[in-house]
Amino acid sequence: MKKNLIIPLAGIIILLICSFYYIYQPSSQKLNSKQVPDILFETNDFYRSENINQENLGDFYIINFFASWCKPCLAEHPLLMELKSKGVKIVGVNFRDDEENFVNWIKKNGNPFEYVIRDDGTIAYEMGLIGVPETYFIKESLTQKKIQGPLFYEDVEKYL
Amino acid sequence: MKMSKNISKTLLIILFLIFSSLTWSNENNLSDYYKTIRCLVCDGQSIQESDTEFAINLKEQIKKKYEKGISFKEINDELVLIYGEEISFKPSKNHFLLWLSPIFIFLIILIVVRKKYIQQK
Repeated sequence: MKKNLIIPLAGIIILLICSFYYIYQPSSQKLNSKQVPDILFETNDFYRSENINQENLGDFYIINFFASWCKPCLAEHPLLMELKSKGVKIVGVNFRDDEENFVNWIKKNGNPFEYVIRDDGTIAYEMGLIGVPETYFIKESLTQKKIQGPLFYEDVEKYL
Repeated sequence: MKMSKNISKTLLIILFLIFSSLTWSNENNLSDYYKTIRCLVCDGQSIQESDTEFAINLKEQIKKKYEKGISFKEINDELVLIYGEEISFKPSKNHFLLWLSPIFIFLIILIVVRKKYIQQK
């Protein structure tokens, strides 16, 4: 009986060691622990030429990376406008874009953003951007959720 | 007079060669490093081979940091912190359990086979 138990016991021990190791791996890879980088608040808003006021944004806000050359950004734009009308504050980050194209794009499609900043790629790098559009849901300066690609109604319905 | 002109010309050429070789070696170092960074939006490609917006931006940011004097190790640590370990083609060496697991399994099989063999005898 005892001899038959050795192999399953060894298996369980190895499994336990592996699970313990997996759970206690460096927390750097856990998205929830990611803080909004300071550079975002050190960059001037495009229209007001002043830094983003963190107090004005409150505890919960959204950071949305977009560009005028990005077609999926156009697809999610009406949803961002709706979020704005419901009082959700959105910080728009215009990623690697031509200034004239960006201004015309906002004029044509509307401005859903509380603040808009232009980024040469530095903020995107600090935030860990993969591609535009990308949206970060921020609560108490920490990323709660990150959505790669365009937003869908299901992603934001609880804020509408 | 002519002699000093020749010397200054030679010196200029040598300086130019040194400068260009330094620039070339910097570029070479950087492109070697780019080859170790995975492009997260393209299958199996490094950022060196990729022309996606993600790869172009990452190359620019890495170059900026490198030119500021930040070492590749520090850049790599930062990249892993931001994007996770999948960003690097060279995984860190802390996966010892993964690498040792075949040896563990082999040892267990060996013990079982040996016991069975002894029992049969």
